[in-house]
Amino acid sequence: MGELSEREMSADSRNLICSPQSPTRVENFYKTLAHPICYPDPVSNIKAAHSSVATKDKQNANIVVQSLAKRYGKYTVLEQVNMVVEPGEVYALTGPNGAGKTTLIRCITGLVFPSEGEVFLKGHNVYTHGTAARSHLGAVVEAPAAFYRHLTGTENLEAHATMAAQAPGAKRVAKDRIREVLSLLEIHRMSDRKVAEYSLGQRQRLGVAAAILTDPDILILDEPTSGLDPLGIGLIHRILSSMAASGKSVILSTHHLREVAQYAHTVGILSGGRLVDQVDLNARQNAFKFQVDDPTRAAALLQSLPFVNRAYTRANHTIAHLESDFDVSNALSKLLNEGVRVMEVGPDLFDLYDYYRERVEQ
Amino acid sequence: MLSLILLEFRKLLGYRSVRLALVILFLLPWIWSFAPALDKVYGLVLTSMWQMPALSLLTVMQFILPLLVGMTAAELLGAEVSAGTLAPLLLRPLERYKALGAKYVVALLYPLVLLSVLLLSSLLAGARFGLGGFAGGTGFGEGGFIGLGFLEPLDALGQIVRSYFIAGATLAPIAALALMFSVIYMNTAAAALATIATLNILRLLIVFPWLEGWLLTSYLDAYVGTPATLLKALVILLLYTVAIMSVGLYIFEKKDL
Repeated sequence: MGELSEREMSADSRNLICSPQSPTRVENFYKTLAHPICYPDPVSNIKAAHSSVATKDKQNANIVVQSLAKRYGKYTVLEQVNMVVEPGEVYALTGPNGAGKTTLIRCITGLVFPSEGEVFLKGHNVYTHGTAARSHLGAVVEAPAAFYRHLTGTENLEAHATMAAQAPGAKRVAKDRIREVLSLLEIHRMSDRKVAEYSLGQRQRLGVAAAILTDPDILILDEPTSGLDPLGIGLIHRILSSMAASGKSVILSTHHLREVAQYAHTVGILSGGRLVDQVDLNARQNAFKFQVDDPTRAAALLQSLPFVNRAYTRANHTIAHLESDFDVSNALSKLLNEGVRVMEVGPDLFDLYDYYRERVEQ
Repeated sequence: MLSLILLEFRKLLGYRSVRLALVILFLLPWIWSFAPALDKVYGLVLTSMWQMPALSLLTVMQFILPLLVGMTAAELLGAEVSAGTLAPLLLRPLERYKALGAKYVVALLYPLVLLSVLLLSSLLAGARFGLGGFAGGTGFGEGGFIGLGFLEPLDALGQIVRSYFIAGATLAPIAALALMFSVIYMNTAAAALATIATLNILRLLIVFPWLEGWLLTSYLDAYVGTPATLLKALVILLLYTVAIMSVGLYIFEKKDL
């Protein structure tokens, strides 16, 4: 069966209902969907860390990647990749060169067939019901985006409109829409020139214009800011951010960590073909760092509190992700009551770049 | 589907190999029409415009046309792969078989485009030999260029058009073969080379007499054959074309891109 069945979805949804009070369910979730190395460190591994990445609702998700693996002979490119991207979410995919980002993106878009696993776009299996799945998709999988060089920018978008209209029940993209996306990407003045005359950055902008042409629910972009000047990078980020705000799901692979950290909701770190971490940047907003005499014990104590989503140690500190910043004093009281010496408490200012480096070096 | 086919035709016209082929096929009849040693090489003395199309076709069908058709058919996919435009095409809600099917349609029609140019150029180049009826043959009917007596212009035209259409049919499996190799190798040059190599190997296989009747290359000169052998030739050519296309479509459905 190609579609995500209701029974399957509800079963998965049950697994996804996890809270600090129900570590077994959380563990089940990680066993069935994610993999243990998603835990940030041994402490949280034991204490069954909770994050909103883990609680995503597969039933309403726009993109569901399940146990994806890709092997070429003996060489494994991707292994046990699980992802859920909800409407309105920007998911930034990052990792060192050769980590498997492009292969993962090609698997998600149905260009490459996985050795194992499945991908659902808006509930449609991209491998067995590709037309239905891709009717919700806008994507650029090459950097820079590729176009027919002997055709103009407008003619290329018209060709894309023709192909997009092949979906059952699809409406032909209006010429006004083509002009609109060209203006949005600030390449309208180039629209009647052949793509062969476009610069690298202009082709990249045209690529994004083609991807958003049909106003898709899902946008997947492989290094969309490659070859762009700073203004162009800002423009693309604004467009992606605004599309997410209007309920679209966006996956982008990037190395511009500090820039995407400003608007991405989740960052997936891919290394050696494994999704070694999925960082929920929203949850990071209520992360606090406790300098204590016994970080391991402090993490265990904090993890037992109902308003602590996640607690773990990092470099002689205990990091706790709280429900809200009002819970800091309660957390502090708990530690003091249990005899833990607290030297300092402050917000855990998160630097995605540093975190990425730390994770990849592990 | 029609819009896809039209789009493929539009892309086709942008290929250098197509422009090169059109130039070559337009110029060759003019070169042959002024060639001083036709009688020594082919035993032919041109006496009518209606003999030029056969002369042109005979000289290009052996190698040049299969090569040009093979190159361009391979380029239909290979150029998209090298330019990176195949992925964006397949990211659209389009079945893979439709995307490749449109290319197959264009690849199969492309020989007819080339043959039309060759025919037109041949008639123009041969016009100075006379447009009316003549005593002789077109080279396609009984008696070859010598013919069976006086030939009316309309009869000559009928023989020529029929033979050019059959030539188009003989080139169809070659185009399909090149596109299939392009699906396998995802590369224009490798696919074109594999096509030419395959045709040459098939030609060599006539050393197995029991195979000869089933070899594609045994029917590539069907355009000069007799009506008695024509039907079998067309059926074999059709079977080859359909079989090769099916293999190409099957591989493409499973191909990682």
